[in-house]
Amino acid sequence: MATITANPPRVGLPGLLKHRAVHKLLLLALAAAVLVPLANARWASGTWPSALTVDFSEPLAKASDWIIDNRDSHPLFLYFFGHVSNVVVIGVRAVYLTFLAVGWAGVTALGALVAWRVAGVKLALGTGAAFLACGLLGMWVPTMQTLALMVVAVLASVVVGVVLGLAAGLSDRMDRVLRPVLDTMQVLPAFAYLLPVVLIFGIGVPAAVLATVVYAAPPMARLTSLGLRGADKEVLEAVESLGSTARQRLLTARIPLARKELLLGLNQTIMMALSMAVIAAVIGAGGLGDRVYQALASVDVGAALAAGIPIVLLAVVLDRVTGAAGEKLGAEPEPHSGRGWLFALAGVVVVAVAGRLAGRLDWPDSWVVAIAEPVNRAVDWMTAHLYSGVPVVGGTADWAGHFTTWVLDPMRDGLQALPWWSVLLIVAALAWVIGTWRTALTAVLAMAAIGVLGVWKPSLDTLSQVLAAVAVTLVVGFAVGIAAARSDRLERALRPVLDVFQTMPQFVYLIPVVALFGVGRAPAVAAAIVYALPAVVRITTQGLRQVDPAALESSSSLGATSWQQLKQVQLPLARPALLLAVNQGLVLVLAVVVIGGLVGGGALGYDVVFGLAQGDLATGLVAGGAIVCLGLMLDRVTQPTERRAKKGA
Amino acid sequence: MDTTPVFSVEGLWKVFGPKADRVPGDPELTALDPAELRSRTGCTAAVRDVSFDVRKGEVFVVMGLSGSGKSTLVRCLTRLIEPTAGTIAIDGEDVRAMDRSRLRELRRHRAAMVFQHFGLLPHRTVLDNVAYGLEIQGLGKAERRERAAEVVTKVGLEGMEHRRPSQLSGGQRQRVGLARALAVDPEVLLFDEPFSALDPLIRREMQEEVVRLHHEEGRTMVFITHDLQEALKLGDRIALMRDGRVVQLGTPEEIVGSPADDYVREFVRDVPREQVMTVRTAMRRPSAGQDGSGPAVRPDATVSEAIEAVARAGAPARVVDKGRCVGVVDSDTLLGVVAGTEQPAPPGTEQPKEAV
Repeated sequence: MATITANPPRVGLPGLLKHRAVHKLLLLALAAAVLVPLANARWASGTWPSALTVDFSEPLAKASDWIIDNRDSHPLFLYFFGHVSNVVVIGVRAVYLTFLAVGWAGVTALGALVAWRVAGVKLALGTGAAFLACGLLGMWVPTMQTLALMVVAVLASVVVGVVLGLAAGLSDRMDRVLRPVLDTMQVLPAFAYLLPVVLIFGIGVPAAVLATVVYAAPPMARLTSLGLRGADKEVLEAVESLGSTARQRLLTARIPLARKELLLGLNQTIMMALSMAVIAAVIGAGGLGDRVYQALASVDVGAALAAGIPIVLLAVVLDRVTGAAGEKLGAEPEPHSGRGWLFALAGVVVVAVAGRLAGRLDWPDSWVVAIAEPVNRAVDWMTAHLYSGVPVVGGTADWAGHFTTWVLDPMRDGLQALPWWSVLLIVAALAWVIGTWRTALTAVLAMAAIGVLGVWKPSLDTLSQVLAAVAVTLVVGFAVGIAAARSDRLERALRPVLDVFQTMPQFVYLIPVVALFGVGRAPAVAAAIVYALPAVVRITTQGLRQVDPAALESSSSLGATSWQQLKQVQLPLARPALLLAVNQGLVLVLAVVVIGGLVGGGALGYDVVFGLAQGDLATGLVAGGAIVCLGLMLDRVTQPTERRAKKGA
Repeated sequence: MDTTPVFSVEGLWKVFGPKADRVPGDPELTALDPAELRSRTGCTAAVRDVSFDVRKGEVFVVMGLSGSGKSTLVRCLTRLIEPTAGTIAIDGEDVRAMDRSRLRELRRHRAAMVFQHFGLLPHRTVLDNVAYGLEIQGLGKAERRERAAEVVTKVGLEGMEHRRPSQLSGGQRQRVGLARALAVDPEVLLFDEPFSALDPLIRREMQEEVVRLHHEEGRTMVFITHDLQEALKLGDRIALMRDGRVVQLGTPEEIVGSPADDYVREFVRDVPREQVMTVRTAMRRPSAGQDGSGPAVRPDATVSEAIEAVARAGAPARVVDKGRCVGVVDSDTLLGVVAGTEQPAPPGTEQPKEAV
């Protein structure tokens, strides 16, 4: 028994893999031997041959101009997009005005009492404190703007997501069509969604809401469908055996059985909507994101932090409250829960009316604690003392500089110096060895599409940043993950930290790195590492901990040392989890590296920002397309046969 | 006296796989064994040409190992799985010809099923789970809860009405499943291995519960199991299935006493025969003059009961049916039954215990 469980992973699996991998590589080498000389003979060049690019900027610019010219006259805009846009504007405005009319005290009470009903007293206090903190930081109005946008976007996302999810959950054909689309949307960086909506709606609130919906609806749809499909088959059979109609089955069994997934979907949708609502500041969302964006543009770390803290607080509160609602499912229903809600509602009304009578609807200016200035003084001090010239260790700016010159530059130059066909070959080889010929083909096509779009060089620049960031993330992440898997104490200590870090929107990671490292490519990479690290650590730890205890037990009964155990049992058996960690690391890092365009990361992210800022949508759209292709390529390269349900980060 | 069988199944086939329809009608294909059929056509025949009647008021057990097709068979009865060929009639009405609403009517009122893993709705209380079938029928809340409460009491779950399934033990959950089926007051109860997920002690308790219910209400039951002991204990008649076919159909005594083939014989080899075989099979004709002496036993007493009587009296026992001595059992004949060396009674004389 012991030998059977302990040995095969060590001997059998890698042996088999090697065998298959060698086969695939040989085939690929054969294909390369034929194709490469041909390609090289015709288009010999280090970078992507210009003969193989298609210039999209002119038609895109034309399309963009046409849309701008016809936005007020063409029936498509008048009768469809116009209405959509109006509804969104009116909706956001209405919610915003309601928040203002209820006043700061009323909104705080509403938040706290809803949290009390849904998640208990502790979270209610936390929610109240978070709202008050937003006010204290002088961010009450932007917080309400962001919340108003979120309310509308989340409602729309949930409606769209549930409708799509029902379709995919009930019809196999719809599932086959929707699943790959939703899966792919899940891995694309938020930044890639901005430009297409701007093309249609122009910069402003409608575009921001629409981009948010497109970004936040997929998890709702995926989880709705997953929940409907995951329902216990025997329960459904029992329900059918009692003579139920299809409608009765859906309403009394399938949807209630999927409640857990539906609430998880709501949680993920809210978190992704917040993340996007903040990033959408770039396309006119206003609110907290806009404050961060403006502050970062002028490298005003203090102001960025004052707006960033409310974002983090909102994220943590929203995540905990919706998460607690999910955990409460299945527990004994409280008696008088209707009366509790009534009390809560009455409380909100009382507080709101009291606030109105007292004439204190707006957050009083005298209560604002200005943190921007002290923070900036601290940053100035850091700039003066820590940036460089610290004895022995150097300074943060020195580190960033060294990282750029010794790691990022050689990687970028190396990648750009590689013949274009060899890049494709490497992509194909990696993707095929890890996955199937299908994933390899998609990856190669995506990479080739980047060349065709004519942004080969900046894409490789972005890729070099991604690879550098992922390398660091994986080394640190695996080390911490393995340590946490082997020490319960460390895992307990890490858990709350990981929880908070995983809920924060991508955008806020830029603030501390700018404070520490200034602007440039190194801070973008640093932000990406910090953003991706929690997910990698978590997946690694979970993967190692889920290794079959029987296998571990049998190996220790054979007298394996703990090092042998880790190397010979845990790591091989956790291989799928580790691969998933790599995949997630790549996806998350890419998302932040392109946002790094806002803090001097350059490359594709900068093209998007530049396109938006200059109204040059063609450049931005091409860069956005390249980001999509890069995301697809990186995901497919590290995708084993089947995608598993993964934790939204 | 109603002689129409509750269920009448004739030449039933269920074939899974591509173009399954062609298999039952093709004599060449039907002759193949399962492995050959799969390799030739890619189809699996779960139920192969099965015929039987379920009589009113009896407990009809379908027994077989996993993969023998018994669960598929019971699902075909109410078309939870659509049969491929053959006929099924309930009270003489063709089930396969029913339209959707008629079929719903059948499922709502005439046949209710109890499932192996209970199939309870986790978000509902015990009471609402039991009332669920009535809710499907469109009954008002007050009425269905009232009726559900009665059934909850009947299965011994008083005081647990407001718990959730997750707060119950396995045996209690299956009582809820049983109550849900009983609540709609069906003509026939279908059990799909209802107790195989339970601990042995709880299983015995639940079996006794079923015996008690059957005794009290006389409801027709179709009971699927892979447990021979359970089949012998509950069944008035047993259909033994193998690879989708019924290999033997008869009373427990016939199955144990005269196995139809080696497969059945191997199956029943370890059964304590003295607890299944009745005196009726073991007795010999009374010789003249034995009428008056020895203890009396009923013809449907088990052999083990007769052994006790004979041992206690130290003399052969008389088999007395309605005051008349129909036979005699002595220690030799009884030992012969235990050892399995007695001449089996001629098979085929099916005698349901509850024949009205």
